[in-house]
Amino acid sequence: MKPKVAFFDFTGCEGCQLDALNLDAEDLIDLLNGIDIVNFREVMTERSDNYEIAFVEGSITTEGEIERIKKIREQAKTVVALGACAGIGGVNCLKNHVPMEEALRIVYGKDAKYYNTIPARPADAVIKVDHYVRGCPPSTSELVKVIKALLLNKKPDIPNYPVCVECKMAGNICVYEKGQTCLGPVTRAGCNAICITSGRYCWGCRGLVDEPNIQSQKDILNKYGLTAEQVIEKFKIYDTCSEVLK
Amino acid sequence: MNESSVLVIESDPIVRESLSGWLSSTGFEVTSAEDGARIVKVFAKSDFNIVIMDVRLHSETQLATLREMKAIRPRIKTIIITSHPQEEKVLEAKKIGVVDYIVKPVDMDDLQKIIQGTVESICRDNVNITEDNTSFETSGDDLVPGIKKSFAISRENLSLMVENLLKETEVIGVKAKQGKYVYDRIYGFYELSLDYDVTVSPPTGYMFPAKETLLKFKTGNGNHVEPVIEYTPRVIIGVHPYDIKAIELLDEVFMNHNPDPNYTARRENTVIIGVDCLHPSPRSFAPSMGTNWTETGFDLLLTDIGNSYIVKIGTEKGAELLAKHTKYRLPTGDEIVRQKKVRGEALNRYKIALDTPKDRIPKILEESYDDPYWENRSATCLSCGSCIMVCPTCYCFDVKDEMAMNLKEGERFRRWDGCMLVDFAKVASGENFRKDKASRFRHRMFRKGKYILERYGKVGCVGCGRCSSACLAGIASPLEAFNSLAENIRLKEAATSVIQPAKQARHIYTPEMAEILSVRQLTEKEKVFELKLKSGKKLGHYPGQFVTVSIMGTGEAPLSISSSPLRGKNFQLAVRNMGDLTSALHSVEAGATVGIRGPFGNGFPLETLEGRDLLLIAGGIGLFPLRSLIQYVMDRRYDYGKVSLLYGCRTPAERVFTEELDFWQNSKEIDFHETVDMPCEGWTGNVGVITNLIDKVDIDPKKTMVAVVGPPVMYKFVIEKLKKRDLPDAHVFLSLERKMKCGVGKCGHCQINGIYTCQEGPVFSLTQLRSLREAVL
Ligand SMILES: Cc1cc2nc3c(=O)[nH]c(=O)nc-3n(C[C@H](O)[C@H](O)[C@H](O)COP(=O)(O)OP(=O)(O)OC[C@H]3O[C@@H](n4cnc5c(N)ncnc54)[C@H](O)[C@@H]3O)c2cc1C
Ligand code: SF4
Ligand code: SF4
Ligand code: SF4
Ligand code: SF4
Ligand code: SF4
Ligand code: FES
Repeated sequence: MKPKVAFFDFTGCEGCQLDALNLDAEDLIDLLNGIDIVNFREVMTERSDNYEIAFVEGSITTEGEIERIKKIREQAKTVVALGACAGIGGVNCLKNHVPMEEALRIVYGKDAKYYNTIPARPADAVIKVDHYVRGCPPSTSELVKVIKALLLNKKPDIPNYPVCVECKMAGNICVYEKGQTCLGPVTRAGCNAICITSGRYCWGCRGLVDEPNIQSQKDILNKYGLTAEQVIEKFKIYDTCSEVLK
Repeated sequence: MNESSVLVIESDPIVRESLSGWLSSTGFEVTSAEDGARIVKVFAKSDFNIVIMDVRLHSETQLATLREMKAIRPRIKTIIITSHPQEEKVLEAKKIGVVDYIVKPVDMDDLQKIIQGTVESICRDNVNITEDNTSFETSGDDLVPGIKKSFAISRENLSLMVENLLKETEVIGVKAKQGKYVYDRIYGFYELSLDYDVTVSPPTGYMFPAKETLLKFKTGNGNHVEPVIEYTPRVIIGVHPYDIKAIELLDEVFMNHNPDPNYTARRENTVIIGVDCLHPSPRSFAPSMGTNWTETGFDLLLTDIGNSYIVKIGTEKGAELLAKHTKYRLPTGDEIVRQKKVRGEALNRYKIALDTPKDRIPKILEESYDDPYWENRSATCLSCGSCIMVCPTCYCFDVKDEMAMNLKEGERFRRWDGCMLVDFAKVASGENFRKDKASRFRHRMFRKGKYILERYGKVGCVGCGRCSSACLAGIASPLEAFNSLAENIRLKEAATSVIQPAKQARHIYTPEMAEILSVRQLTEKEKVFELKLKSGKKLGHYPGQFVTVSIMGTGEAPLSISSSPLRGKNFQLAVRNMGDLTSALHSVEAGATVGIRGPFGNGFPLETLEGRDLLLIAGGIGLFPLRSLIQYVMDRRYDYGKVSLLYGCRTPAERVFTEELDFWQNSKEIDFHETVDMPCEGWTGNVGVITNLIDKVDIDPKKTMVAVVGPPVMYKFVIEKLKKRDLPDAHVFLSLERKMKCGVGKCGHCQINGIYTCQEGPVFSLTQLRSLREAVL
């Protein structure tokens, strides 16, 4: 029996789902041989409420979304958070750093009073999440890895060590040596340190490792010339911040 | 006299018969004897060249026998079979005629090699008496490039050599990149920077890459498994002496004892052209580690003396390459002086050094195990792994399965891993054997300064300074640690060595296929499997050893062998459903094929247990490994005194092998007691912790040997109780669980201080464990 898979979106750009389709044709066919996609907003018109594996994308920003995701949890045997928004809150959490009314005003201007919003949160702040496809956008290869693991009934091979490990494996010169800063030392690896390898730095899109040494990372950013505010800004982008401000 | 006449002395009839049988079938003339007393008599009558003898090296009588044999036949070559060899004992044995030793369990291939080598050396001895001193040194043309000779070569001719090499092979060299230096493929001599300070990453990655496939497999029918060994012949040019020393260490680790086929293939196809380091990095302390110069480990070694280079030849390969690709000449007197001078100047350029001789580091560390330094210094550690990823002497790895999209075929690959990473020593139950930063930090420093040196006789840190450049927290330099610790320390003598047992299959990572003959449910979470190797061979294990079980695509896990080796060709594994592999195993049925590697580890010390009273203690599924010993002892009951068995588990529902428990309960041959922590309705037996049962047995501490297997928490209490009953530490043996991946002493996961659980363990005497602080008792 092929497991039935459904994709759901919450507050986010849906960039994650689009990226998920970015597979080459042969791989896609192999993948579809193993699973049955019953609900995928971007490619399917028919919908079904009969599914075992639910991929949720986007962060939770309204009361209504809380109800919806709880329903999904009841139905699905396995829930996978897809992308940074669903997994760690993501860019949506930027608004948490200003008061709610202010956030509404920034986003909706005069129409703000018609909207109702709560602080943005990742899926696992509301329900139990079984697996994560991390990153912003999440990589296809990781999505495939998670699906394969689900089909084989084993834990996906997602490391609990920081990006620095993969950065060194790639033989990169550390950006700190070039006077830049980087969140690699506290961010979960699994992306092959792609940003550093391609000439940028890590901004933490895959979320923190399980036991990050935040204090030490802050001290290091400080030592390399960032002020306390800049340090917080740096962590804010993907809401690694809420963890950091604790 | 026949060169291949062999005398086998072995007390275990099974081993003796099989060894003699095998030797005769291989063409040796064999006589066998049972014990030492009779040996000398046999000796007087017949003539032997080779003696194979099972020896307990700590037994004085047996050493005396060896001496006596040597006195009767001075030219006898003795090969001993032994367990737990210690270096001093081996040395002592070598003085009295022992030419080689082999560690139990005996690998027939190894034994054959050793015997073959011995026969050949006997033939050689016989020849050497007549035609002695044939010298290989030809005193002809000085320009014939020979090993150890030095020549001068101009920069142009060096360039010519590199350009010629580029025509026929891949060349890796040191290049400048973004203000730093890296190893990379080069396409022309002009790209090389031979006067660099240090590279960001070491050259060792060309022999031991960050990720590589070990096996390819197909699942389903037949379970096809195939080793993957990929390599590209290449020349690496510009390697500094400290990195050459690091490569020599990796050679020792990967090419001696359980040779790693993947590393070996790459290493054998790599030519190393070294270059003296004349402008060291300010973070390097190579001279303190004795690694700033090297006489070995390279094919060619260059020294930049201004207009030209001195090139020293290290190997035949290097000599050929030089002769084939370029022009060189004898160095002038002036050039030789210049080489001395530039080297002297280089030495003065090092900025930091050890405050204490490097030989003292192991002792310093030993005495600093509980120093607050570890905790304090590691507070800012990010567990980011940068220090170990850039280190030329680090070689730990993880092993994983990756399936293709079609889920029908896949690969088993390895990927760098290391002790500074949080999950390195974490097992499926969630227990992490190095859970805090301080213990990981300390472990790395102990590896660098002590464990590696003791295990391999080579320095574990070559002083390149890369880790301290890479560490953002600024704490990773071993030099800094050694110096800080040395300050407060009383110094004693360097520690002694541990020799590791040898053996194993040809491709150490390829499992052998085995068929599951039957599956039986023991409890809700546990099943027992009966297996047979498809080759039809016997597994050949000792009680207490373990195998790794593979299900291709899911992975591999270590499991103890649960049955006695004396009960036929089949063997049993009892398994608790804990995670990926174990749950996959639980879902297969009789007839399925799985992969097996091993047996691994030492097993229980049968020789020490023989003839004694035994107290066997199993907690929970600790009965799985212990059952192999219980069965073995029951099979050879006449060899032992009184045998008591204590078994405890949490609830009656968790009791495993219940029929056997009943059988033991009713048997007169074994004094059996059991208890549960929490009774249920209908339970009429004992209630309470297992230590209570110890009170129920009579113990004569002098005669009794104890074997304990159970969860870590149990050990502490059992040990306390045994102490109260006056049992000496040397009489108590425990089997420890650790995370394991490779089973062959490579991957590093199972390490407890300097010891590899998969090699020297999993069974340890309490005496041994007392000196292993990480064993936490
Ligand atoms: C010498 C030895 C003998 C053992 N004998 C038995 C036995 O007879 N019966 C039994 O039920 N269990 C035994 N275990 C424990 C068994 O190995 C683990 O339960 C098993 O490895 C879990 O693997 P998994 O893939 O099911 O779980 P996962 O959680 O998916 O394992 C993840 C990985 O971590 C490693 N790992 C996790 N836990 C352990 C562990 N406890 N020990 C070693 N490596 C681990 C495995 O290699 C695995 O690849 C033994 C362990 C050792 C070291
Ligand atoms: S660049 Fe970033 S990820 Fe790479 S080693 Fe430096 S800090 Fe770590
Ligand atoms: S390097 Fe950092 S920012 Fe880039 S993909 Fe990886 S985790 Fe995300
Ligand atoms: S521990 Fe540091 S200094 Fe020593 S060899 Fe490794 S990287 Fe070099
Ligand atoms: S155990 Fe040793 S070789 Fe392995 S990562 Fe640690 S320091 Fe390096
Ligand atoms: S010692 Fe430094 S480089 Fe090593 S893990 Fe800790 S912070 Fe990272
Ligand atoms: S070293 Fe790999 S399991 Fe022991």
